Amino acid sequence: MTALLSIRDLSVAYRRDGVEVPALKGVSLDVLEGERLAIIGESGSGKSTLALALAGLLAMGTEIGGMIEWSASQSQTPRSFAPLSGLPAISPARGEIGSFADGSSPATLEISKSSDDGSISPLAGEMPGRAEGGVPERRPSAIGNTQAPLLGSDIGFVFQDPSSSLDPVMPIGKQIAEVAHTHLGPGWKGAYAKAKTLLERVRLPNPDATIHAYPHQLSGGQKQRVAIAAAIAAGPKLLIADEATSALDTIVQAEIVALIRRLVSEDGMTLIFISHDIALAASLADRIAVLRHGELIELGETSQIVNAPQQAYTRALLDAHLGLNAEPLLDRQDTSA
Amino acid sequence: MSVLAVSNLTKRYHRGGKPFAAVDDVSFEIGPAETLALAGPSGSGKSTIARLVLRLIEPDAGRIDFEDADFLTMSGAALRARRARLQMVFQDPLAAFNPRATVARVLNDPLRVHGIAPRADRPRRIAALLERVGLDAGLAQRAIHEISGGQRQRVAIARAIATRPSLIVLDEAVSALDVSVRGQILELLLDLQRQERIAYLFISHDLGVIRAVAHRIFILDAGRIAESGDARAVIAYPQSSVGKALVAAMPKLVRDRP
Ligand SMILES: Nc1ncnc2c1ncn2[C@@H]1O[C@H](COP(=O)(O)OP(=O)(O)O)[C@@H](O)[C@H]1O
Ligand SMILES: Nc1ncnc2c1ncn2[C@@H]1O[C@H](COP(=O)(O)OP(=O)(O)O)[C@@H](O)[C@H]1O
Ligand SMILES: [Mg+2]
Ligand SMILES: [Mg+2]
Repeated sequence: MTALLSIRDLSVAYRRDGVEVPALKGVSLDVLEGERLAIIGESGSGKSTLALALAGLLAMGTEIGGMIEWSASQSQTPRSFAPLSGLPAISPARGEIGSFADGSSPATLEISKSSDDGSISPLAGEMPGRAEGGVPERRPSAIGNTQAPLLGSDIGFVFQDPSSSLDPVMPIGKQIAEVAHTHLGPGWKGAYAKAKTLLERVRLPNPDATIHAYPHQLSGGQKQRVAIAAAIAAGPKLLIADEATSALDTIVQAEIVALIRRLVSEDGMTLIFISHDIALAASLADRIAVLRHGELIELGETSQIVNAPQQAYTRALLDAHLGLNAEPLLDRQDTSA
Repeated sequence: MSVLAVSNLTKRYHRGGKPFAAVDDVSFEIGPAETLALAGPSGSGKSTIARLVLRLIEPDAGRIDFEDADFLTMSGAALRARRARLQMVFQDPLAAFNPRATVARVLNDPLRVHGIAPRADRPRRIAALLERVGLDAGLAQRAIHEISGGQRQRVAIARAIATRPSLIVLDEAVSALDVSVRGQILELLLDLQRQERIAYLFISHDLGVIRAVAHRIFILDAGRIAESGDARAVIAYPQSSVGKALVAAMPKLVRDRP
């Protein structure tokens, strides 16, 4: 399989009260075209940071180093870009950006002042960047006409809290139609037809009525279905789901996972599924990447990670899972007492 | 003898102008040092039952006996004394406390309000409580927002046990914790139960967690009890449609060599 994305030596550090908080440390990873890749780790391990970096959604002022090479299959030559951040300037110390590309590789885009011209992608309105999970105001990167993958048409993003990506005062049909209109340009009539088809595809009840509904009229699981419909409306190659089912109960979670699995397979999308739940990740993914303290500590086929983990930390995560066949703690306590 | 006996409890709310029963004719009992789990999909009425049992809201019908006394008609000093014996731990300890308060302050309040310890004795009691939940006594002067999520949940448990309760209501108390921390908190709860004979009303949507710690289970569906029984038996062989759906939805981790 060929790589859809090559991530090389990716480092990200946030700035909080003037102090640098490292969130990713030299992560290198290939995301293969058409695969379902899970990224797991405990809270604070850097999962969301990685997802936001790939989508160019990191907030202003974030320090980013390394490279992400994106090779969309319709263009013969891979497109490379240094991870965009819209930050005012990249520090000179980040000179290694782009240096990964060898002679035969295409030119690598360097982060420069020009990426800070304030141009906000048309998607800005759909990504209000409401703080969620401690992530402050996000701003879509200054994508402009660079070669970086475009949020919407190249990458679809689903957040834990669907409310963070849905506009509370806009009918949901319009929100989905806007994505199609912006990226595919079929005209509004076509965009609405597309929105209706998408509402059917994500199995929302009664799409003719739901198209006019507002987010608050839907349950949490239904809102997540709408957010997924909007994320895939422009036919992205890559779908990133960041803890997309973590706020839902187990029954709804299973339904949404089944939906993601079906859509990804029908559309031939590549999936990056981010979760703190190793069992959930294993139920969906071909491969699993384990993050700990901002480092990629293990990457392998799902069966290898589950049955023959190389790292003690991965084994500890597996052992801590409380499944329906685990020995109840109640018994362990009784015998140890 | 039961610590808590709930009979025919009903609570109605309005949805779209129409009344509906969030809790519909629910009855159950919890014995001393017993863990009764309440499971069910989101919106099935679990938190409403928790709030009713704690008397944070009043039911439309039904009866609650706590330590063999009619809890719903109690008032004044009798209610205050009884409330000390009925404590709670919720999902988000940050929401439960003023984040700027120190750990000592959070633990001092119940000791003061319920007259558990004279002022001079409280620092020693606070240190003992912290030690009991596996925290360093030095943590007392730290602010709630400065400590980790797992430490906060231990502080919440320390506050709950400060008044020597016979029952603690835990509403999704471990749902937001990382798995490694979650295991430690569950073991702490089991240890406290054995040592202090505390009963738990343990609310969770996660059958894996329930199976690890609960003796009995009640599964709710739209405010009604769909089935109940021994926790492991019900989870192994669910009879109700909601019970079957909950079990089927659990992600399964199949390992060759566990
Ligand atoms: N906007 C931010 N500002 C400062 N620090 C942040 C920000 N977002 C995340 N962090 C920090 O970066 C690290 C990784 O966070 P994150 O990527 O959100 O992890 P995860 O998604 O695995 O929980 C953590 O230490 C977190 O506190
Ligand atoms: N204060 C309230 N006003 C109106 N409806 C409520 C209120 N509290 C809860 N409900 C409704 O009651 C039902 C049960 O809610 P809840 O007890 O929170 O469920 P659970 O904890 O099982 O998710 C839900 O339909 C919820 O929307
Ligand atoms: Mg995250
Ligand atoms: Mg609840």
